[in-house]
Amino acid sequence: MENNIDAERAKVEKVMNEKVIDENIMNEVSAQKDKVRIVAFLCNWCSYAGADSAGTSRLRQPEDVRIIRVPCSGRINPLIILKAFSLGADGVMVSGCHPNDCHYSEGNFYARRRLEILKEFLPAIGIDSKRFVYQWVSASEGQKWQKVITNFTKRIKNLKVEGI
Amino acid sequence: MKEKENPANMKQKSIIESKLKEKIIEKFDNLELVIAYSGSSKALRVNPLFIEKESDIDNIVFNNLCVNNLAAYAYFKSREIKGKIGIVLKPCDAKSIVQLISEQLISRDKILSIVTGCSGVIDYKKIYKFIGGLKVISADIDDTGIRLKTIDKDYNLNLNDFYADKCYSCKIYDNPVYSDEFIENDKKPNLEPVEEYVDIEEFERLGLKEIESYWKSEFSRCIRCYACRNICPLEVCRDRCIAQLESPQWQSQKINAAEGKFFQMIRVFHLAGRCTECGECERVCPANIPLVKLMKKVNKDILKLFGYRPGYSIDEKPPLLTFKNIEENIKEENLVNE
Repeated sequence: MENNIDAERAKVEKVMNEKVIDENIMNEVSAQKDKVRIVAFLCNWCSYAGADSAGTSRLRQPEDVRIIRVPCSGRINPLIILKAFSLGADGVMVSGCHPNDCHYSEGNFYARRRLEILKEFLPAIGIDSKRFVYQWVSASEGQKWQKVITNFTKRIKNLKVEGI
Repeated sequence: MKEKENPANMKQKSIIESKLKEKIIEKFDNLELVIAYSGSSKALRVNPLFIEKESDIDNIVFNNLCVNNLAAYAYFKSREIKGKIGIVLKPCDAKSIVQLISEQLISRDKILSIVTGCSGVIDYKKIYKFIGGLKVISADIDDTGIRLKTIDKDYNLNLNDFYADKCYSCKIYDNPVYSDEFIENDKKPNLEPVEEYVDIEEFERLGLKEIESYWKSEFSRCIRCYACRNICPLEVCRDRCIAQLESPQWQSQKINAAEGKFFQMIRVFHLAGRCTECGECERVCPANIPLVKLMKKVNKDILKLFGYRPGYSIDEKPPLLTFKNIEENIKEENLVNE
């Protein structure tokens, strides 16, 4: 019985230590001025395919972006974005199908309202609203995706140099 | 019971109070429960009163100290009780009922809203702050001012400084947006009105750094007692609150400014386009964190973007549960040409 408890405790401690290491790495990354951490939430049907097509047509994309695939931009709860900021993201982007093109017909309309409110709200808790953006990129717009993500990364890097 | 013993107070408030009692006696046969205010053992405070027997109606109190929003009980009591419930509401509290009905959280024929005209409510926290403690022995409030007897000295306070924040921009004190029974009050709030959202505009002019450190110091006091959530008439999720979920775990149980702030973000986005700004969360906060500021900021944006005010219409859908193909007021950013 006691052995079991010890084993459990060891497991928990291991997880906690890993988390600490993780945080250290994050701090190191954030200390480097030219490196930024951008989280991009892309909808499965349009923007993710768009980013994919940018990749297959060998368009150069910034390496500072971590892409998370979601079923629809309507899946994005504003809290997901706030959580990303509180965990240390420098910039967050949400990208989905153009209005009227949603795979689920109306998900991005709801998303637009929610995300616009979030964007207006961010300055009230001390986050520059330029650090968050939502865009519409369709599956065939690989080039647009490249421009959007390059410009956004550039903007976040500039903001970081200014000291966010 | 000091409030009741005070003869001046009794005489002054008796008109609206007796009208209210008469109305409740008249309607009592159809009601299983009536929620109203009663006197408290503490000066400057009133208690909620749950009336099941007709003899209890005598204990009802209605005066400028009735700051509580009794709509907080509407949702849970209406699920618990089979019959009809009468609730005594101020015009601002009635907005919470409107919002609950418009979201179909309560049924209209289960609640009898007894709305009284309001002459403004006194924020007891402001008085405690002014006199530096809870040492009030008795209070006498009328049109001319507040006369306090405390353990060390007596005060004669100007009413205008001590109304609840929501009263200064209230335009519906004698004209509620919704009521089943309306009881007119011959008294009016005696205050200098302030434009709506002036405080928020001022707050927005601060720099980002300043705002960040402001919230950090405010939320460092938060112990996450969840009182703000539990008093809210519209936050009826409770067992499903994502702040207490283990999987996915949105929040750790640590007590610090970041977690306290994130809990408020959950509340802000749960109440976006729903909050009627009754101010109860801020009133019950044991750490005095200015929570209504966050709610007002979102409401201000929603009014600007979608022209919607929560709590004013039973038929209108809350803005985040609906959409338009073309949103006139939303100006989307275009990153391509930046």
